[in-house]
Amino acid sequence: MSTCQAIATVWRRYFAIYKKNLWFGIVTTFVEPLLYLVSFGVGVGGLVGAVTTESIRITYRQFVFSGIVGQALLFQGFFEAAYGGFVRMYYQKVFQAIAVTPVTMSEVLWGELLWDASKATFSSSAVLLIGAICGDFSIAGSLLALPVIFICSLLFASLGLLTAARSSTIDEISYPQFLLIFPMFLFCGVFFPLDQMPAVIQGIAWLLPLTPVISVIRSLTLGFPLKPLAALAVIAWTVILVRVARRAMRDRLVK
Amino acid sequence: MVAPLVVEQLVKDYRVPGRPPFRAVSGVSFSIEERECFGLLGPNGAGKSTSMQCITGFYPPTSGSVSILGYDVHADPRRARAALGVCHQEDTLDTDFTVFDQMVRHASFFGIGAVEAGRKARELLAKFDLSAKIDEPVEALSGGMRRRLQVARALMAEPRLLVLDEPTTGLDPEARRVLWSIIAEFRRGNGAVLLSTHYMEEAERLCDRIAIIHRGKILDCDTPPRLIARHVGTADVAEEIRPGVRWKRPANVEDVYLKLTGIPLSADESETTAEDEEMRPPAETTGGLHR
Repeated sequence: MSTCQAIATVWRRYFAIYKKNLWFGIVTTFVEPLLYLVSFGVGVGGLVGAVTTESIRITYRQFVFSGIVGQALLFQGFFEAAYGGFVRMYYQKVFQAIAVTPVTMSEVLWGELLWDASKATFSSSAVLLIGAICGDFSIAGSLLALPVIFICSLLFASLGLLTAARSSTIDEISYPQFLLIFPMFLFCGVFFPLDQMPAVIQGIAWLLPLTPVISVIRSLTLGFPLKPLAALAVIAWTVILVRVARRAMRDRLVK
Repeated sequence: MVAPLVVEQLVKDYRVPGRPPFRAVSGVSFSIEERECFGLLGPNGAGKSTSMQCITGFYPPTSGSVSILGYDVHADPRRARAALGVCHQEDTLDTDFTVFDQMVRHASFFGIGAVEAGRKARELLAKFDLSAKIDEPVEALSGGMRRRLQVARALMAEPRLLVLDEPTTGLDPEARRVLWSIIAEFRRGNGAVLLSTHYMEEAERLCDRIAIIHRGKILDCDTPPRLIARHVGTADVAEEIRPGVRWKRPANVEDVYLKLTGIPLSADESETTAEDEEMRPPAETTGGLHR
């Protein structure tokens, strides 16, 4: 068994459970972003009409649809890895059971992260698809966005796994959830252009990973000029968080 | 013939920031032959579980080596653990799967295909008297059934070495006997067993050799009769079982442990996990190393 096969075997464990509980999986993966799409895209979009950001005028629906791609990545990636990862690590002891087979702990953690990222990718792909069908996103840009979305999913899954590794109890996951995830959701450009906010808040928002993620997604789906620093920030956040999260979980499990 | 398990000078320190490292295992060495059942006996916190975690390759040792069928479990975990079955002290059954599915899923981590795994799972579940529960979720099983399932799962890849960490803790006498017979059958098929327990009867009944472990060191290691003869003698032991009631009984391995450490096995300091062990102060070094 090669390393890739071992990781794929772990990934298939998660996918088997997802398939087994398909309706649960569909509801938890797709319903939330769809609700945001309808309420903000159609509801608020009908009131606002159009917005101008970065000197480009687009409909509010286009703006918020592309933001919700990022929101889906953030929520699905983080929550699956944080809560799901904590349950698998602490209550079910799934990592401990697999890591005494020929599959190593490193491969188990890659399998976990790749699954969490895959689930977030499924969810945001549905938003992309709807955006493309509605004519809000370019089809070529949406296709090009898929691998980028997977990388961004890995970023937030790593943040979730790091949270799981550093939480003593499942309740402690609420701290980053309320102090980091929800502020990112509200202030990183999902629902309104960042240039509406004071410079200080804009500066803070750009220090958080969701802002460059949404910037890159808007570049691909809506044709906004790509900000090289935003792309670089996404790559840097992903590389750092994957490394730190894997290390933290390994340190938590392996004494 | 390559020994199923060779442990050489195994040392494990737990490092806690801001505190001196705590040595949980201190130079443990032993080997297990084919068909042999080797027992690690000691109270909670003695270093049994930490040794087991290092032997299965889950914890890296601070120094020393562990070889399973000649493969170093840390340098070459894939090959070493292909021949290893593990039943953890704690319940690690995958509650997301049914009884059957989790057997098949576990086999996939050994590279065993679904058809072969399915056949093997049915065979093992029948042997472990779990066929009636084949499509049940794990939560539907009693404690004894879960334990049996965990041992059955450990046998899915037809291991040559079976590591059982306190497999009968919390089981009723009947369930314990079922497990004992399963272990005996595994050994008849050339399997070797490493058993950690703090039950005297179990150790004496199942183990060809017993290592008495205390504060991370093996104090002595031999067959139960030799250990008893060497440290306690062959005469019956007199003891007071209730105030004013004394009786005599044959000496057992617990007497050996008491003689070697001065601590009765029943005086476990606490139910201790590896996480608890690291919180203890560094152990004093007592006794010598025996093989």
